[in-house]
Amino acid sequence: MNAWTLYFPYAVAFWLFVVGCFGITQSRNLIHTVLCLTVVQSSTYMLLLSIDFHAKAGAPLFSSTNPPGSPSVDPILHALTLTDIVVGATVTALLLALTVQIHRRRGTIDPQRLRPMSE
Amino acid sequence: MSAATANVFAPLCLAVPLLAAALLAPFTKHMPRWLSSCIAAGASLAVVGMSIALALYTSAHGPVVHWMGGWTPRGELAIGISFSVDAMGAGLSAFIALLVFAATVYTWMKFDLVGTLFHSLLMAFLGAMCGYALTGDLFNMFVWFELMSAAAIALTAHKIEEAEAIEGAVNLAVTNTIAGFMVLLGIGLLYGRTDALNLAQLGQVVAQRPPDALILASFALIVCGYFVKGAVVPFHFWLDDAHAVAPTPICILFSGIMVQVALYGVTRIYWTVYSPALSPHAHEIKALFLGVGIATALIGAIMAYAQRHLKRLLAFSTVSHSGMFVAAMGLFDATGVAAAALFVLAHGLVKSGLFVCAGNYLNRFRSLDENVLGGKAREAPLNSALFLLGGLALAGMPPFAISAAKVLYDASMKDHTLFSVAAFMAFASALDAGAVLRAGIHITWGIGKGQQTGYSPREEEPECDGDRLEKTPWTMLAVPALLLAVAVWVGMSGVLWHGIERAAHAFVDRQYYVAAVLHGVTRALPRAPWEPRTAQDIAINLSVTAAAIVFAFLGLFRDHVPQMLRPIFGPPLKQLRGLHSGIYTDYVAYMMFGIAAYSLYLVVAAR
Repeated sequence: MNAWTLYFPYAVAFWLFVVGCFGITQSRNLIHTVLCLTVVQSSTYMLLLSIDFHAKAGAPLFSSTNPPGSPSVDPILHALTLTDIVVGATVTALLLALTVQIHRRRGTIDPQRLRPMSE
Repeated sequence: MSAATANVFAPLCLAVPLLAAALLAPFTKHMPRWLSSCIAAGASLAVVGMSIALALYTSAHGPVVHWMGGWTPRGELAIGISFSVDAMGAGLSAFIALLVFAATVYTWMKFDLVGTLFHSLLMAFLGAMCGYALTGDLFNMFVWFELMSAAAIALTAHKIEEAEAIEGAVNLAVTNTIAGFMVLLGIGLLYGRTDALNLAQLGQVVAQRPPDALILASFALIVCGYFVKGAVVPFHFWLDDAHAVAPTPICILFSGIMVQVALYGVTRIYWTVYSPALSPHAHEIKALFLGVGIATALIGAIMAYAQRHLKRLLAFSTVSHSGMFVAAMGLFDATGVAAAALFVLAHGLVKSGLFVCAGNYLNRFRSLDENVLGGKAREAPLNSALFLLGGLALAGMPPFAISAAKVLYDASMKDHTLFSVAAFMAFASALDAGAVLRAGIHITWGIGKGQQTGYSPREEEPECDGDRLEKTPWTMLAVPALLLAVAVWVGMSGVLWHGIERAAHAFVDRQYYVAAVLHGVTRALPRAPWEPRTAQDIAINLSVTAAAIVFAFLGLFRDHVPQMLRPIFGPPLKQLRGLHSGIYTDYVAYMMFGIAAYSLYLVVAAR
């Protein structure tokens, strides 16, 4: 594998993180913010999954066609990614619930139009 | 206590609160209030007891390492997840559980539980923080950190009918979630290099090579991520929004321990993982931590002084103290760690007491604005007395614990001939406590003029059953009184100080940790030098207290301050206040700037 394909996933992860955060700074809608957060989170998926990726290696499930000892990717990273997904789902659910409540109270979900809390 | 019992206690510190949470969640609606309070209080007391037992055991016999499911390491390869409990971690867990216990006592009578999941969430919060304090696995730390955040978001939005509470929760959720992802990216990079997640094993692998860009990037990401939760400049903006609206018992935990727990994470990870690799650049990293520590302490203190809303004032004071903790741990030696630990303990007790007093004002008078409260509090003399005493304690008046912390802290500063840092910190803590005292004096006696700046609603919903409390129940007064009493004990107890000093020496000794976790070789805490307090230290503390009182009266009678001074202070203060806009989109922009600045500094410093 040449250097370009080796580092490309990291560049994508970096891009996703930055562009997601940029989206939040420009956000005029809380639901848009929540979606931007999931974009930021995608950068973590990208990074974790690319760390141990090998084109020749299969999933870490061993059988007769894929006997123990044959190349496989690291299962720990998949476990980390799964945990990450659970964490993301929790926060997304909480934030969406809060969004509904804000809309009920204030009649808007534009963060700029919500009364700022300091002065 | 036998080794086997200690080994069982470690996971029980986590299991007991989580089981209590699971038990309370479905049944709490059908339970009488006293029963759910009893379960929550019982579980937190059990954790206090077990953690103290663990702290004593680990002091005498060395760290307790519990491998989940019996997956012990093969050679130096950790294949399971460990709870690596040393004296510092066990002590932290005991303190966390103590504050949770205080919060449950506060909710015992009259507190409006609204929905009924309050105690369940509280227990999940406790379990997450204890797991975080005791675990020996980097990814496991992230998981507890996120559980802590999720519980914190839900608890901040506890007063679901109040739009401001929800906005505070949203600010907390957005910033802290991004912080979590930063930490996770850092962990991913580190795992990619080392194939390890156990802190002890990570340290062994990282130590083998000089640090390169990848190690530095992971360090920057982890530090920035935890600094968001630790409320360090420029990541602190979410804190006052969340703390100002959270219910009082949750403020105890937010200000008293959650911020500090994040900083504990940075310290723990630095000493176990990065210390050998980054030691050639220790000087530059120390400069970074001291710099942001001073900036945080000053900005927090100035903003605290400019607030009229009591909880927001106290929240900014927490920001300011967070800066002091960062500077103390940024000395990167055992004395600094010991000072930070004692300081966290002392500050947590006093600040929790102050928040409870503020909550009592809210329940009694339906406001937290010092202008509205001004003079009214004559009706609540006991609460006001406790609030003023808390203000003096925050300034470091002997024999309160913060004075002890300040002494040790100043001593560690002097060791390093860092007089200027110590001077900044003394100024910040005097200004901080001055703000609390100003508000307290104005509220109690109505003298002088209350602070006019800072956001504050004229009237707020109280947190009690019914419209407001005619009389504060004794439990709500007992909590701050007991917390301040413990703070006095902490300030006087030489045994505790010495214990913390020894625990800190073990904390910064990576080999001590590695031997226990990977090789099963444990030994008692090392001996450490310890000097009792001198008359000079007491004099320093008294002068800081005096300065705080001067600042308090300067604030009350600021109309008499010469007009010519106003243009000097006015515009910069206005700018600073403007930055704290209350809108999370701005906060995320500052965070981006912060990550870029920290990373750039680390790369240039380690060039």
